[in-house]
Amino acid sequence: MLRVSELKIQRPPQNFHYDFQINSGEIAAIQGVSGVGKSTLLECLAGFIQPVAGEIYWNDLDLLSLEPRQRPVSMLFQEHNLFEHLSVYDNLRLALGKNADRDIQIAAKALNVQEHLAKLPVALSGGQRQRIALIRTLLRPEPLILLDEPFSELDDSTRFTATAWTREQARSRHKTMLVVTHQAEDVTRLTDRVINII
Amino acid sequence: MLMASATLLAFYGLLSFSGDSFQWDVLKDPYLLSILRFTLLQSCLSALLSVLLAWPVALALLHLPDSRQKLWFLSLCVLCFVLPTLVLITGIVALLGQSGVLTPLMGEQWNIYGLSGILLAHVYLNMPFAARSIYLRLAAIPAGNWRLLQQLKLSRWQQFRYLEWPAARSATWITLGFVMVLCFNSFAVVLALGGGPKSTTFEVAIYQALKYDFNIPEALVLSWIQLIVAGGLYLVVSACGQVSWLGQEIKSRLYLPKPDRKNSIFYRATYGLAWLFLLAPLLALIPKTQGVWSNGAYWLKLIPPLATSLLLALMSTLLSVTMAYAVLQPYRRALRTRSNAAIWLDGLASHTLVVPAMVLSVGLFVFCLPRIDIDYWGFTLVFLVNALVSVPYALTQLKPALASYDQQYWPIIQTLKLGFRQRAYAEWKFIRPVLLTAASFVSVLVMGDVAIYSIFGNQDFVTLPWLIYGYASTYRIAEAAVASLLLLGISIILVLTLERQRARYA
Repeated sequence: MLRVSELKIQRPPQNFHYDFQINSGEIAAIQGVSGVGKSTLLECLAGFIQPVAGEIYWNDLDLLSLEPRQRPVSMLFQEHNLFEHLSVYDNLRLALGKNADRDIQIAAKALNVQEHLAKLPVALSGGQRQRIALIRTLLRPEPLILLDEPFSELDDSTRFTATAWTREQARSRHKTMLVVTHQAEDVTRLTDRVINII
Repeated sequence: MLMASATLLAFYGLLSFSGDSFQWDVLKDPYLLSILRFTLLQSCLSALLSVLLAWPVALALLHLPDSRQKLWFLSLCVLCFVLPTLVLITGIVALLGQSGVLTPLMGEQWNIYGLSGILLAHVYLNMPFAARSIYLRLAAIPAGNWRLLQQLKLSRWQQFRYLEWPAARSATWITLGFVMVLCFNSFAVVLALGGGPKSTTFEVAIYQALKYDFNIPEALVLSWIQLIVAGGLYLVVSACGQVSWLGQEIKSRLYLPKPDRKNSIFYRATYGLAWLFLLAPLLALIPKTQGVWSNGAYWLKLIPPLATSLLLALMSTLLSVTMAYAVLQPYRRALRTRSNAAIWLDGLASHTLVVPAMVLSVGLFVFCLPRIDIDYWGFTLVFLVNALVSVPYALTQLKPALASYDQQYWPIIQTLKLGFRQRAYAEWKFIRPVLLTAASFVSVLVMGDVAIYSIFGNQDFVTLPWLIYGYASTYRIAEAAVASLLLLGISIILVLTLERQRARYA
């Protein structure tokens, strides 16, 4: 279970407050108007922002005492998800290890990006880059997955495929997932519940 | 720590020499005042001329259509700025010296040795640098401003007054100050073209006091004055901003008004003259080389200095780039954690820019003199001091690249929990071209070094620039020209490597 208690983050001129829980294996959508602190919450959970008060527990593990690289978290950022100077394949192998070739091929085929593995990220469209980043984030071993606008650059048809694949992966790999999205369709297709941030 | 220690040792050397007191009396010496006057005069005039002449060249570059020749010209600008000065000096002597190609056109009063020769060489070395930095600012003017300008139907003067000058004003002043500092610290040009005590600068006076008169107390006083004036000037200039001259042109300029016929002719003429001015001293070397190419004995004499210069460049570059990368690590850590330590770590890494190479060399020379056999350790000292003073130049390439790498990729590296080998792999792939650029930049500077060699060098390991100086100062222009062409060829290869890598990864 992920427990966020009385969490307070200061980002002058704004202050953000969060208090919620998510059960293990649950997929939750984080929703709210722009500027309400959705991405800030994910960055705090991943360890890139320090709160001024509150607690974050993953089961019995105090996440706030851990550095980003020590947290059981895999995150997809809004941008800068891929090393631009490495090929797509190198990007995936770097993150997933040398034994993940089969998983990479299967996932790439499922998301229709198998033809782009040898390319540099600069040769890919925004949607293709997002799908590659999605594969990398979902296939990582960490149990807690944070996705910040993961489908924003996908067309309707690809978005349908990607949300279905994401849900399937989350279920089969027993991931707990928080997804920031503005699209109501993504919420319906992908998530179990919605956390509204006011 | 290593860099700071070397500077501290140099300062310790500058403060004392075996208990001898400073010769402060030298401050009242009219000779010293004449040196100060001449050093300031030549540096001010050189800077003013360089920047004034750079403006029309920059405007021509901006308004002429993009072409491959224009890219070559911009690369030539880089080459001229980093060109080993002895190559240029030989070229200028071949062009305008006693039996120069153009000397008959200059009138009977003409003498290349003295202020005129110094100014000519300094303008040649610095005008392209100024033109490039002004041009880069002009090229960054947004297309919308040009469209607005056309809508308002402003005159050519108003275009300059309200658009071009404001865009490059700060670059102009900073470049002016920076060129002044460079010319204040000029050594090889003044040594070779000064022509006597009337046209001596501090660096040359220090060299003469140390190596000819062996008057160390006087050399120390001169060094302190050089440090205070040149270092102070540098601090003032760098506080005003930084010169960007190695950046890439903004290629996505969508709109630029076509110049009218009169202006177009002016731009073309300026551009042509600039090409001629920059190529003439280099091309003048070729006809002077007759009879030397087939001289086997000459080539045998050339090989050891060439090998020495290449070895020195290789060793100093490796050490310099490694040191630059190493000193950036605490800076990067501080930057990532948004610590204020980043500011002073940055200053510490670049501190040798404030201390002229000659002053640092003199300090270390005086420190080492009673402790080690300088002749025996000469090669090592030339290699180490060259590496030390080159670190800030390597940093100019590595620092922005690594800062951008961290800014872009640090969150992914953290969230992916990459191990040391994986991080090293990703970073190596990213930084490799930048390392090559930094290495090319440092190599070409070390290859052309004269100042540091003049303090620590000896006849056991003559470098190529020092050999050229030896030939040029004894009027053996043919031998000097061939050696200069060789050094020029190596410099061109290094500059092309530098330009290609930057263009590819800009």
